[in-house]
Amino acid sequence: MSTGLLTLLVAALAILGMVMGRSRAVAAVSGDIRKLHSLPFFYGRFTALLTAVPAFLLIVVWLLAQPLIIENRAAALLSPADIPDGSSKALVMTDVRRIAEGLDRLHESRTDIPALKADPAALKAAMNAAGVALQSDPAPSVIEAAEALREAQGRSRLYLSIAAGIVAVGGFAWGVSRIKPDFRARNATEVFTMWLLIGCSLIAVLTTVGIVASMLFETGHFFKLYPAADFFFSTTWSPRFGGGSSLGIIPLVWGTLYVSFIALLVAVPIGLMSAIYLAEYASKATRAWVKPAIEILAGIPTIVYGLFALITVGPLLRDWIAQPAGLGDSSSSVMTAGLVMGIMVIPFVSSLSDDIINAVPQSLRDGSLGLGATPSETVRQVVMPAALPGIVGAVLLAASRAIGETMIVVMGAGAAAKLSLNPFEAMTTVTVKIVSQLTGDTEFASPETLVAFALGLTLFTLTLALNILALYIVRKYREQYE
Amino acid sequence: MSGSLFTQDPRTKARNAAERRFRAYGLGAIVIALLALVWLLISIFSAGLPAFRQTFLTFPVMLDAAQLDKSGTRDPAQLSKITTITYSKILGQSLEAAIAAKGIDLGGAKPKQVADLISQESAATLRNAVLADPKLIGTTMDFSALASGRIDGYYKGRVTMESAALDKNTSPEQLALADKLKEAGMLSVRFNWGFLTMPDASDKRPEAAGLGIAILGSFMIMAVVLVLSLPIGVAASIYLEEFAPKNWVTDLIEVNIANLAAVPSIVYGILGLAIFINFAGLPQSAPIVGGLVLTLMTLPRIIIPTRAALKAVPPSIRDAALGVGASRLQTVFHHVLPLAMPGILTGMIIGLAQALGETAPLLLIGMVAFVRDFPGGLFDPASALPVQVYNWTQRGDPGFVERASGAIIVLLIFLIIMNTAAILLRRKFERRW
Amino acid sequence: MSFMKLSVSTAAILAASTFAASARDQIQISGSSTVLPYATIVAEAFGENTDFATPVVEGGGSGAGRKKLCEGVGENTIDIANSSSRIKQSDIDLCKTNGVNEIMEVRIGYDGIVFASDIAGPDFALTPADLYGALAANVAKDGAIAANTAKSWKDVNAALPDQALQLFIPGTKHGTREVFDTKVIEEGCKATGAYDLFLAASTGADDDAKKKDAVAKCNELRTDGVSVDIDGDYTETLARLDANKTAVGVFGLSFYENNTDKLKVATIDGIVPSVETIAKGEYPVSRPLYFYVKKAHIGVIPGLKEYIQFFVSDEMAGPDGVLAGYGLVPDPELAATQAAVEAETPMAPLQ
Repeated sequence: MSTGLLTLLVAALAILGMVMGRSRAVAAVSGDIRKLHSLPFFYGRFTALLTAVPAFLLIVVWLLAQPLIIENRAAALLSPADIPDGSSKALVMTDVRRIAEGLDRLHESRTDIPALKADPAALKAAMNAAGVALQSDPAPSVIEAAEALREAQGRSRLYLSIAAGIVAVGGFAWGVSRIKPDFRARNATEVFTMWLLIGCSLIAVLTTVGIVASMLFETGHFFKLYPAADFFFSTTWSPRFGGGSSLGIIPLVWGTLYVSFIALLVAVPIGLMSAIYLAEYASKATRAWVKPAIEILAGIPTIVYGLFALITVGPLLRDWIAQPAGLGDSSSSVMTAGLVMGIMVIPFVSSLSDDIINAVPQSLRDGSLGLGATPSETVRQVVMPAALPGIVGAVLLAASRAIGETMIVVMGAGAAAKLSLNPFEAMTTVTVKIVSQLTGDTEFASPETLVAFALGLTLFTLTLALNILALYIVRKYREQYE
Repeated sequence: MSGSLFTQDPRTKARNAAERRFRAYGLGAIVIALLALVWLLISIFSAGLPAFRQTFLTFPVMLDAAQLDKSGTRDPAQLSKITTITYSKILGQSLEAAIAAKGIDLGGAKPKQVADLISQESAATLRNAVLADPKLIGTTMDFSALASGRIDGYYKGRVTMESAALDKNTSPEQLALADKLKEAGMLSVRFNWGFLTMPDASDKRPEAAGLGIAILGSFMIMAVVLVLSLPIGVAASIYLEEFAPKNWVTDLIEVNIANLAAVPSIVYGILGLAIFINFAGLPQSAPIVGGLVLTLMTLPRIIIPTRAALKAVPPSIRDAALGVGASRLQTVFHHVLPLAMPGILTGMIIGLAQALGETAPLLLIGMVAFVRDFPGGLFDPASALPVQVYNWTQRGDPGFVERASGAIIVLLIFLIIMNTAAILLRRKFERRW
Repeated sequence: MSFMKLSVSTAAILAASTFAASARDQIQISGSSTVLPYATIVAEAFGENTDFATPVVEGGGSGAGRKKLCEGVGENTIDIANSSSRIKQSDIDLCKTNGVNEIMEVRIGYDGIVFASDIAGPDFALTPADLYGALAANVAKDGAIAANTAKSWKDVNAALPDQALQLFIPGTKHGTREVFDTKVIEEGCKATGAYDLFLAASTGADDDAKKKDAVAKCNELRTDGVSVDIDGDYTETLARLDANKTAVGVFGLSFYENNTDKLKVATIDGIVPSVETIAKGEYPVSRPLYFYVKKAHIGVIPGLKEYIQFFVSDEMAGPDGVLAGYGLVPDPELAATQAAVEAETPMAPLQ
């Protein structure tokens, strides 16, 4: 039985359980559902959960474990002599899997399998004809392992079907048997749901652990090759092929903060004002059109913004502001990248803030307006403080996006790391350098490449600190109404 | 002090002026945002629309048995030994013959230049057609061949007579000949379905490059992201916002999630490479890995707005529900969640839009690749729309510029469809109390 | 019931993952973005003309490509790494620790690096000394080291046009930069005499340290906006040239050959870069391109050996081949490479 069919069967049984559970509960009180502890459908849900969840868990665990166990057993059949020099068991297992797949197909169409197995050359020809590309004549023990693998897979699938069937039917029966009028079905299902919720929120934590773990190892390598003090405190960034690079993070961090700051300087006022206008002043029809239109800004691929910065905004700023003011004549500058990035993150501020402002209870506005405040005063002094936590969240999200952006910075602000206050100088950010060092032509084990991991981890710590600060600010200034 | 209600005192006037200013700021902000949008859309569409039209050459092709099947047995094994180079020659000869038959003057174009009017992709198409039906050999069939990139560019204004004179890959004679062919009805510019259905092509044939695999790949990736990130994201938000005890552990998780949103997307690529490919042994370049990586990336970006939306539901709603005897879960699922839906959907839109347009994390898991064979499932190599845009913007041939913009248009259409669906839902849920 | 749906869909996805156990049919290639266009051209033709699947070709950089190649033997690892520089000992060591003992080195040809400016601008006839004089932070002036203050090409060399100095050079992530540093900047440094001055001024412990010091000094480029690092691709350089018509950019030969209607190429030491002049060794700025094959995968991954043979065949990599038509400078020793591929000779230890 294929996994998909098995899944469907279990699901069907669960649905049956839902119906049965419900009707049994109703029958137990002979239709007078007031006597039940919970609403009838809770009993149905309880039975369904008991039927499906253990069975699915079993299927998942089985499917995850099956390849490990079966392949190990098949691999044991391979004699060491069959593994060519320079190859590995894993690679020979590739052939084993391929042959097993081919045998599967051959079994469907031919009957002379034993004869074929005795003749590797004929087997290869037959497999190639069946669409399984074998490169060389398989060794007898490889064929044997493949056959063992195939059989074990078949057996395992059968056992899985039986086991999952038993578990599902057992869960079903147990669930149905527990249905009594005073059984607290709602509480039981809610406990289950609660664990599901907790499990989901743990994924975020696991992601963090994964990120830190996947970068920590290589960062350690980097610091073995390059002194940490130079990395954190040096003010020059100039990687070089063949060693002798200076890899100071300070100019990169400075560039990151500068670009993001300008981006927020553009995005927060524009985004917030549009959000306020949309939520408080605009007619329903306007809002229905304008809000999604602005959201498109967030979906335009960043390469478009990059080209926009490079071709349009950069030369414009250079010719009209930087050169007349004597601030330099570079067409790529922090200002260019910041402005364009600001446009890109407008929807992060505007759409989310709009939703938050819209969710502030109307009674607050009515009270304020009733006391004679103008709408703008109401917004500034009543609505905004109430919406503050959400708005800060929106701004943080925008800042996060700005920090993580590469394409706009590369095209708008350049790739040279510099430490300067002049917003019309070319600079670059940490993220840009993570991407470029990681995908460059330098050898991987050199500090020039490994620095990407150290940069990533440092940026991670840095944004963590910023987020803690933001949380503190929100806690301090938040005003809870009602 | 007059105290009359009919004449405004200076203070009221000032306040009303402030009110008008405030309103104007809001309107101004929206106008700026919309102007930026319009500008960007105009630049995308003006650059990308030509990609949807393509120049084709139609002429009879003589499938010469002497060249294609020397043995005369029509044996598939023998036929497949004939490479596209031979088919290119046949196409060139046939075109030359067709031009001569129509009595068109070559105008100084050499045979090689005539053959170069045809895309190399056409040789492969012709070869496949012949291999699929060997009976065609020896006959003459009408064949619609893609014109080469430069000729196509000529009809889209990218190539001019002046630029052709400087261009190593084409010549004014070729363009003049193309004009004559157009007059004779052998060359036409049509809508280009191939752009949406064909796979990517190499640098030598921009005219044949299409988005087929990229669209399929993006679709699969987004399906994985949607199926995983929406329920997990909402569930996590509900737990953290409604049920988790308020202590340092939840603070930690909250800060942690906010921080995850700020992690540069390429770091998720590092993570995906370590977990899904090196540890779990999933294949490289597969949409499933892309989907999982983007799910991890999107989750915090969904959780933050969802939590904000849940937080914005007034406590009175919860109190009322609890007061009439609903359990805490019922309160949340029946009352709080529906009211928070607009905000959640907004978060979804923005999160998914970002996931749809993301390239950097895919860079490390092998999805930024040249893929020619259509994927059969989530585990076969595939490409994705942003990847295709990224790849095409790096190609040397100028023909890829319009392709990249065309791909962006498709990406935006994808996005608008997704947004529209979410917006319709959002409108259904939106209300103010 | 969204959680029922959730659990069902999650289970379905996990269940689907069992189908992943089937064997891989296509070759996987990763590495240098310089080799990428050539590899895609070959992969496309290979897929069209054989029964094998079209190889999947990724970019991602030479370093990352070689790292992936050395991650181990097995289906989950790539088969070929494209590289725009020779493999390093550290890569080979990594390969050894992960059980990748035999690697085949295939040199496919050379990549020419050219200097080009906007088609409407003046002609440039450059020498490494001119480029050094334009870009270096410190130059030799009247027998002493002085900070570079040149503002126009005319300041560098009176024979050059009076045009503001601005150069777009490859960023430090690109392998091209390494070639640029050694074949242009260091040569120019020596030619202008700055190298000798740096050597004399160096306070290194011994001769070797002094030489290293002097080379490092030679490679210090201006930071006042005259030299602009490009981390993106040649398309970005081209877009920047479009926005700054007076600048000069560094391109690959094949990129230039595809854009001859927009770019005007500069001569170096009087030699016009072309496939022929580079193949003959007259044009100085070029580098070899390679790919590395995991030998253990030959015979396991369908079509791997056929692909390599196809790549180095005369129709592809030969002097009149498809790749030469796209701007790859053919390797004069291609016949030896073909023989080595035929015999599956693994590469000898690095010297």
